Amino acid sequence: MTMRLLTAVLRTVRDSRRLATGLVILALMVLLAVFSPLIVHSIGHGNDPIALAAYQKWLVPSPDHLLGTDQFGRDVLAMVVSAMSVSLQIGAIAGVISTVVGVIVAFVAGYKGGWVDGVLSTFTGILLVIPTFPLLIALSAYAKNVSLFQVGVMISIFSWPFAAKTIRSQVLSLRSRPYVDLARVSKARDLEIIGTELLPNLLPFIGVGFASSALGAIFGLVGLEVIGLGPGGVIDLGQIIFNAINTGALTLGAWPMFVVPIVLLTLLFAALNMVNIGLEEVYNPRLRGVAGE
Amino acid sequence: MSVIELQGVEQRFHARGTPDGYLTALKDATFTLQSEPPQIVSLVGQSGSGKSTIARNILGLQKPTAGTISFDGKDIFKLSRAEYDNYRRNVQPVFQDPYSIFNPFYRVDRVLWKAVKKFGLAPDRTKGLAMIEESLDAVSLDPAGVLGRYPHQLSGGQRQRIMLARIHMLRPAFVIADEPVSMLDAQIRKTFLDILLDFRRDHGMTTLFITHDLSTVYYLGGGVMVINKGSIVERGAVESVMHEPSHPYTQLLLDSIPQPDPDQRWTNRIHVDDSGTQTPDSAPQEPVV
Ligand SMILES: Nc1ncnc2c1ncn2[C@@H]1O[C@H](COP(=O)(O)OP(=O)(O)OP(=O)(O)O)[C@@H](O)[C@H]1O
Ligand SMILES: [Mg+2]
Repeated sequence: MTMRLLTAVLRTVRDSRRLATGLVILALMVLLAVFSPLIVHSIGHGNDPIALAAYQKWLVPSPDHLLGTDQFGRDVLAMVVSAMSVSLQIGAIAGVISTVVGVIVAFVAGYKGGWVDGVLSTFTGILLVIPTFPLLIALSAYAKNVSLFQVGVMISIFSWPFAAKTIRSQVLSLRSRPYVDLARVSKARDLEIIGTELLPNLLPFIGVGFASSALGAIFGLVGLEVIGLGPGGVIDLGQIIFNAINTGALTLGAWPMFVVPIVLLTLLFAALNMVNIGLEEVYNPRLRGVAGE
Repeated sequence: MSVIELQGVEQRFHARGTPDGYLTALKDATFTLQSEPPQIVSLVGQSGSGKSTIARNILGLQKPTAGTISFDGKDIFKLSRAEYDNYRRNVQPVFQDPYSIFNPFYRVDRVLWKAVKKFGLAPDRTKGLAMIEESLDAVSLDPAGVLGRYPHQLSGGQRQRIMLARIHMLRPAFVIADEPVSMLDAQIRKTFLDILLDFRRDHGMTTLFITHDLSTVYYLGGGVMVINKGSIVERGAVESVMHEPSHPYTQLLLDSIPQPDPDQRWTNRIHVDDSGTQTPDSAPQEPVV
């Protein structure tokens, strides 16, 4: 089963250059994030380069400080590297929570149908039309000193319905496939059918759900940080941008503080979207024609 | 001997746009299928007449809104564990679409191995494989040519014959075949029908053969039921129903068989007049829909 999943994933990746590119960029970023403690450590030569007044303020980029230092004398490169890991973490937390909740709700609603589906779909629909960002702002203004994980959970509350909605419609269309009927006359049980007949075919949609939830969470957090309402004690890419804007870093020649986080966010955005589009392309061949590949 | 019995089976679906909000796909269907002597009973009717609905009801995939379906005298929706196993083992389908019957995620072998495992057909893998190969052979498929392949790597005819191999392994008393040949070309179609006839002769299988094509009904012989708008309007032996149809709808179906003589076809053109209604030159040729 695992082998089969792996070969299926490989087959999928091979079929779309866009998907492969997106995954490679993501993998590189994740690697960078995983090794960020080591990188930060080596930048500091034994000291913490992100500690207040670790160096002089507002140093311009130099071989010692590739991206210069900020208003507190912190090394910007070290900050950016660890901030990216924080941004990826929030994406992973919210992505996993929304996907798991979305998948469960979608399967229960789509497979069971009837009133169960009615109740769940109505609830999902209500959450979908609630304007997310203002509520997030209200929530985080109210909840002082929230942790990164709590913010992740908060964002998930609003992003799982998207995943649930896409996956539910897929479950509905797959549920009536003849191979599901064949499984039923071969004495397969409901859970077995969901796990072995439906789930594998839904992987791309689950992937899309994960990617868009993660993306939503990363940018949601950036949005909160830019207006100064992020979780305490952690620095994510949004907060560096917020600092750069607040201190007028650009006029002080500290442009990397502003530009580098934005480039990284753009890259992340592009990579996750390439994964999204790539997955849809592979599993929806009609799109491939349009894309001209 | 086994018996499938339908008593006043009715299937309604929720539907928008109908006066009472329901669409009745099947009305008061009552008939029995017997495993002895093994027979082939065709069920003919045009698209939307309720043929697949009957098949799904009999296969226990859809619970009818009224009436009962019983297997050996027991309601198929109220079976004990052992009775359910026996019913599943003895009532098996061949579906219409040889493409979507396979989960694209898996190799085609899985369908056969599932049958081996779920129904405990073989004590171990070696015996199971031997069984699979024997059954593939029985439907003239080369095991080396199909095992280990993905569904999209096989032709429609090959896939449909894998379904027959599955039937061959299970040897059910009843085969419910819902338009199994409608997507196959003429050559493969005949091979398929011959296999079904062999199964009846060699393994005593009774088949409910669903089709909208009267020429296959002729070919298979046996019994036939004609269904129109959810009601079974005529039943009997193929020869008598075909030669002396008693219901006007059956006559209509018979008239809609394309004539085998190519010259005839060209002399009987269809004219479309200004009002848009079609008026054939002579006897109606085109399918009446
Ligand atoms: N699950 C369902 N929900 C609602 N309506 C349905 C459902 N299944 C079938 N119907 C309707 O019931 C009627 C009979 O459908 P059925 O599939 O039995 O026809 P059929 O004779 O098999 O046609 P065909 O030759 O095209 O396969 C149709 O009008 C169809 O739209
Ligand atoms: Mg049908």
